Amino acid sequence: MRSKLIYIIFVVSLFMVGILVAISLAEPVTNASGVPHPEFSGMQVGGDGLARFEQIGNLGFAFQCLLLIQIVLLSLLGISERYRSREILIYMGGTVVLTLFIAWQMYSSHLQYLETGNTDYFLGFPIATAWAVYGTWLGAIPLVVLYSVGFHKYIYTPEDEQQFKKLLIAKADKTELANH
Amino acid sequence: MEAYRQEIIVGSVIVYMAFCVLTGLWAMRRTHNTSDFFIAGRSLGPIVVALALFSSTLSGFGFVGGPGLVYSVGVTSFWMVVISSTGYAVGFFMVAKRIRMIAELRDCISLPDVVAARYGSQSVSFLIAITIVLGVMGYLATQILAMAVVMQAILTGTETFAEVGLVTCVVISSAVLIFYCVTGGMIASVYTDVVQGSIMIIAGALILFTAISVFDGGMQEASSIILADDAETIMPYGAMGIMASLGWFFVFGLGLAGQPHIITKMMMNKNMSDNRTIFPMSLFGYAMAALLWISIGIIMRAAVIDGAVGPLSLPDDAASTFLTIFANPLLAGVVFAGLFAAIMSTSDAFLSIGTAAIIHDIPRAIGGRSVQNELFWARIVTVLLAIVAASFALYSHFRDETLVAILGAFGWGTFAASIFPVVAVGLNWKGATVPGAITAIVAALLINFFTQLGGYTLPYGISGPLVAFASSMVLFIGVSMLTKPLKLASDIEQMMDI
Repeated sequence: MRSKLIYIIFVVSLFMVGILVAISLAEPVTNASGVPHPEFSGMQVGGDGLARFEQIGNLGFAFQCLLLIQIVLLSLLGISERYRSREILIYMGGTVVLTLFIAWQMYSSHLQYLETGNTDYFLGFPIATAWAVYGTWLGAIPLVVLYSVGFHKYIYTPEDEQQFKKLLIAKADKTELANH
Repeated sequence: MEAYRQEIIVGSVIVYMAFCVLTGLWAMRRTHNTSDFFIAGRSLGPIVVALALFSSTLSGFGFVGGPGLVYSVGVTSFWMVVISSTGYAVGFFMVAKRIRMIAELRDCISLPDVVAARYGSQSVSFLIAITIVLGVMGYLATQILAMAVVMQAILTGTETFAEVGLVTCVVISSAVLIFYCVTGGMIASVYTDVVQGSIMIIAGALILFTAISVFDGGMQEASSIILADDAETIMPYGAMGIMASLGWFFVFGLGLAGQPHIITKMMMNKNMSDNRTIFPMSLFGYAMAALLWISIGIIMRAAVIDGAVGPLSLPDDAASTFLTIFANPLLAGVVFAGLFAAIMSTSDAFLSIGTAAIIHDIPRAIGGRSVQNELFWARIVTVLLAIVAASFALYSHFRDETLVAILGAFGWGTFAASIFPVVAVGLNWKGATVPGAITAIVAALLINFFTQLGGYTLPYGISGPLVAFASSMVLFIGVSMLTKPLKLASDIEQMMDI
């Protein structure tokens, strides 16, 4: 997994492009990207939500899931290979699960509203939107915690600092030699 | 106090601009060379970098265009904002440490310098510099125009300056911007960012409290009004639908780590370890300031639908109308100062990286070395670049209003698609090659230009920048895998192992 990471990122990128192609070829819907509000200029409306989802809803959700996975994979790429321990892989795996759970809650709540016409509210927004707004934000918290709390263990350790200082000393020596 | 609303607003903006001028003078005494001018000598503390980072991210768009977009398309616009947490995460994990190391190791003062060091290629550096110049022109013109339009709106509300013209406002606002950028360079820029960022945080919090008190039922009542009018607008993907939302998620989320005016600031901190606090602080600042974006847009849309406020002529009037009707004069003064702060903090960042690209990166890429008296010429080019951008802004405003808007929109997406793979992925993957980098940059530029200037629309709200970015990722990695990488310089290879 560790050294094959770039290949996984590449495959995920390919799938994402594939989904974009598939969506582009899907049967168009009039209100797919919104239509002008019938009464207020400057506003757009979405109209029939079920119709918009009929052709591409699942593809769009798949794209969202791949994007969430890609974010974690890319973050993992930013951690040096020697620190991508089993512990880190489990942590990142858990982060992926959390963000996918949040995305599923958002998507399924939206579909439920489209079918029933009813929704509760949470902190000012319909449930589905609350998952999008608060959940998307909070879904990144594990990454924030890992970076800040685990900085000296996984991102830039004391050994890394020593190694970097050696590089700077070598650079200084080289500069001094060049000046002589 | 209500009788003096315009005077309070004008006064707040004047005080803020005076502060910028004084900061420029103070910073001038601390600017001795191009390293000071472009990256503040790599001497900044964590609070300064954190505030500079987020205030450069959130331009005037966050105060005017953003609320206008929420007013227009509802929750779709949220996806530009709520993904900031993931965007900053990707930026810090992938870029912050390595760009800071390579900057110190190779005395880099710009992003093209970093790219030249990483790939050992002046061609890649040249293309990144060109991308920066193209993006900066559009962005800077948009920001200067926004600043002037807002200034004109404020001044014409007073008796004394009721007849002030747009050109005068462009001259005044550009003059302040040019002054502190020329005198103090990046040092002036980041220290004004500290105040700018603080104002933006305060403004965001105060606006949220004001917004939720507009309706008795708070934000929930506003949401339910919008839901009753058109449910899709307040549902997760907004009026523009799922692919428009996810497109912005992709481009604004991952793309943050490809914005030169943001990641360049990651080269400026004094100590590497400061990154562990800079990250959460930047995120907090951005979140607070973004509250304004979301709350004003939702409240104004609900208020218009409900009949509490008359329909707006333009969506971008959402913020100014909200401040006029619902905010007390002192708060309005703070927010307008915050608006200027937001515009200026992004403008000075663009001015700096654009100048570096013209005076430092392109000469080095073509001729192999920098110009003589680089600091002197950097100041000259800063003035010229601002004048050209301001002229372009005025020309497009009076002749063809779509030009600046197109180039402004072109900016973020182009930076994201061109720079993210080459820098963010390239700094973490030794297999990235020069052909891969060149292919990604050229493809990103062509797709963005083609879709934006050609006016092509894709089905289901799929945007040109999304296609460009997704394609450039595939091309960068794919072409790199198919081509043989040059041997990395020993210090770069060892740095990438850290």
